[in-house]
Amino acid sequence: MNTHTWNLEQLKNQLSKRKEVKAWIVTEDHIQRRERYFMTQTEKVLEKVIVDQDRNVHSRAISLNLFVHLETAGRQGEITKKLFPSLPLENQLDLAIEAARQTDHQAWDLPTTVPTNLPEVRTADPEISEDVNHVMEKITTRIQTTVHKKRESSFNSAELFLSVFHRQLHLSNGLNHRSSQSRIYFETAFSHSEMGKDGKAHSDEYMNTQWSVHLKNLDLEKVIEETSDYANHSLQVLKPQTGKYAVIIGADVLSTLLNEQISQLSAFNAYNGLPFSKPGREFIPESKGELLSITLDPTLEYSANTTAISEQGLAQLPLKLVDQNMVIATSADKQYGDYLGILPTTSRGNLVVEAGKMTYQELTRHVPQVIEILQFSGLFSDPNSGTFSSEIRLARHFNNETGKITYLKGGSLSGSIVENFKNLRLSKSRVNRVHFSSDNIYGQGYYGPEYALLSNVSIVG
Amino acid sequence: MKRAPFPEDLTPLRNHLLELLPILEPQNGWYGSIYFERKASKSFSANLKQTQMTDHVSSGAVFRIYDGYTLYEEATDELEFESLKVFANRFVKRVQGQARPTDLAAKPYHPPKWNDRLNTSLESEITNQLPKSIDAKTPVHFGIRFEKDPRRLSAADCFQSLKGAVEKCKQLAPQEGMELSDLSYVAARQTFSIEESIFVDRETNLSQTLFRLMLAVTTMSGSDRTFFRFGGLGGLEAIHYSDSDVHTLLKNLKALKSAKRLEPGKYRVLFGPALTGVLAHEAFGHSQEGDTCARGRSKAWDLHKTGESVGNEHATILNNPAIFQNGDTNYAAWGSYFFDEEGWLANEQILLEKGKLRAPMTNLTSAIRLGVPRTANGKRESWTNGVYTRQTNTYFSAGNKTLEELMSELGNGFLALHAAGGMEDPKGMGIQVGIAYLHEVKNGKLTGQVLKGPAGGDIQMTGYTPDVLNSIVAKSKIEYQSNKQDSAKHPFNDVGGCGKYHKEFVYAGCGGPYLLLDQVILG
Repeated sequence: MNTHTWNLEQLKNQLSKRKEVKAWIVTEDHIQRRERYFMTQTEKVLEKVIVDQDRNVHSRAISLNLFVHLETAGRQGEITKKLFPSLPLENQLDLAIEAARQTDHQAWDLPTTVPTNLPEVRTADPEISEDVNHVMEKITTRIQTTVHKKRESSFNSAELFLSVFHRQLHLSNGLNHRSSQSRIYFETAFSHSEMGKDGKAHSDEYMNTQWSVHLKNLDLEKVIEETSDYANHSLQVLKPQTGKYAVIIGADVLSTLLNEQISQLSAFNAYNGLPFSKPGREFIPESKGELLSITLDPTLEYSANTTAISEQGLAQLPLKLVDQNMVIATSADKQYGDYLGILPTTSRGNLVVEAGKMTYQELTRHVPQVIEILQFSGLFSDPNSGTFSSEIRLARHFNNETGKITYLKGGSLSGSIVENFKNLRLSKSRVNRVHFSSDNIYGQGYYGPEYALLSNVSIVG
Repeated sequence: MKRAPFPEDLTPLRNHLLELLPILEPQNGWYGSIYFERKASKSFSANLKQTQMTDHVSSGAVFRIYDGYTLYEEATDELEFESLKVFANRFVKRVQGQARPTDLAAKPYHPPKWNDRLNTSLESEITNQLPKSIDAKTPVHFGIRFEKDPRRLSAADCFQSLKGAVEKCKQLAPQEGMELSDLSYVAARQTFSIEESIFVDRETNLSQTLFRLMLAVTTMSGSDRTFFRFGGLGGLEAIHYSDSDVHTLLKNLKALKSAKRLEPGKYRVLFGPALTGVLAHEAFGHSQEGDTCARGRSKAWDLHKTGESVGNEHATILNNPAIFQNGDTNYAAWGSYFFDEEGWLANEQILLEKGKLRAPMTNLTSAIRLGVPRTANGKRESWTNGVYTRQTNTYFSAGNKTLEELMSELGNGFLALHAAGGMEDPKGMGIQVGIAYLHEVKNGKLTGQVLKGPAGGDIQMTGYTPDVLNSIVAKSKIEYQSNKQDSAKHPFNDVGGCGKYHKEFVYAGCGGPYLLLDQVILG
């Protein structure tokens, strides 16, 4: 294979010379990732925590969003293409232009001005950015120390991924922007065994995961203790009785549901005929509970979707989308803003949800029967309908009539934002949450109520 | 039929990797290997407003050293020879600098020679491509067969075909009782990937080229959505659809507008192939992934050792990456390949046989740690991701009923055809199978009524896996429309994907026969 044949400056020069090219966005990403997978190995009676796999990854990717002129007025061609530094540049551009000319989009323009005085945003843990290997060793020691503590439950496995992303963004309007992000992923699983009345050994496990951007938000010891504790409870469980319940969901679930639901407030949805709530409409129709106020905040320190600038070269500032349950804004990037004839607003950011009025204890006692979901097996949600469902991996049932608290497992929950958020109650306490699905897309960030109480949720047991 | 060739531009790299291999084994007891992949994928889409295209290439090499305790990997996309040499030496230094456990015995790995590898029954698609005489250095290439060359399809042809699909939906909508204004969103998407990989260790020098194609058409009316998806490995013959498919799509979309909501409870259900595939996948399936077993996280490992039954006589589940004729078609199933990403040749494996668990699927380290035979299930999301034990095509074995017979036997209940995800619970043996919507059946006949979940969304089938597998009443033949003996060897496996818990997404085939289940919990 050829050695590197071109660099970014050469790419930009070539693009600028091509008459067919209307505009372009070039991103270059450098990623380093360290990973360790931990498990136990038993030799004679000795159970030792070992490293099953130890990985180090370096990758570099150059991506081109190319916009070309078409003969038809008001239309343009576009393509997103990864470029190979080791292949000849001209040929790759020829093919990209030819392919882009086969597509057909409503025309839009990149911003004509390059923003200046961008706010400083914090997106990368300095310790990880400086020496990811050193941090890996440090956290490995913490993991090994913590899991070796004597417990009723047994440590099964853990995984630790540390990544650093460095991105350069170049636009044909002259914008050059650099940013970095660190990502930490930690998962751990513990299991608990007991002899059952049937004389057989019964066992179950609990697995916990946590994402964060900064080490200060990685509460590794707490995650391990909680996992161990919930593993212990996983065997003393009942199945839920079928019925409709008041249900407490945690911040992770609330973040997922709300991050998806606000896609209905985007110019993208409006343009493409997908479900869309325009300003002036209620976010939760006929809401009688606490009213949600939601801001899309790209400046939130060390969150998943924190950025000073969007890929289309627009400064990103906090945008209040929902105020006391009223939709007041549309999230629009330059492209879809142009399509709808509206000014672009903020298109990237983390969800910041205003606090509620109740403590956790008050939520658990709000109605006679409350089920708190500790973990869903696999939450599947539909951003178009606002519906969600999953098997219950572990939950707590608060029977406020008898004062009894029981652990539940199994059965499934079926919910709807429109229906079950009508009598919403939110906790006073707020927490940060971060989630990344893939290296290739932005994460979901959240700063908002730690708990939410939903009403009339269908559970089958 | 032709075969996808080895890309000649990769020959120098292949030779370089062979030269670098000895660097990775400086010490006795170390096992070194190198895996390279290049995935070039094009995606074309058309909707009511525009057409779009993306063109991605991802390539990288993964150097591996297993020292008897830990599997070390170093992955890079800097592929010049001198860079790779520096990289390999730096990697060895890193591994040498790691402390080894003093109180555990090493479990070294010795790769088998070709004679040993071939001492097992392999699919003819694999054996037909082997050179007559093979040694450690012989380059062995496997190419997917194809009839209609997908490389010949231009972007213009693609867009014409996709815009045609969108227009077809609009054209046929009135015939299914829908106004054009009811169709709020219509999209057609086609993807084509060329996946090339090389695996070398001291005993093997393997390469494979796969052509992967997929076509999906989605229609929406408000928040209701239907879609169909076809695909496989091979040529354009893998993505053929008919007007009848579009009619079904629109008919279901119309039915969703007047869907009732399911009352949660226990029901008699006939699972279509996609749902049967999800059930197999989530049941035994994930619990039979060797790394999950090795981590002490699977009940299946204990049950395999005790021989306890977890299902009835219909409960036979296979995992098979060597499905090169998917059902009665002439293209390969979505989860197929010739060798996995650790260089193990693909082969069929029975995971569960009439309710009794067999040995699990494995990747290299889980096979070593469990002390069981290796299988071809070492897969990664991409070269930047780690290798885990992953499923390929997972399905129930076929039965002996026709669809008509099963519908009659169903009587009153539901037909479930449209999968909506699932989740495993390997230790607790719970199961979750998502169903987008159900078709009501009375007296063995479809009533035309469609049902959504209690909250208007998906329906979840949940339960205790052995209970579900003991509730199987009957299974269909592979060729379920005919009462003649099946001529196809394997049930059809649809396009699917798999996450390991909630990350590491890989391709997986999802299919099988129709499966009649009684008293399953739906809600």
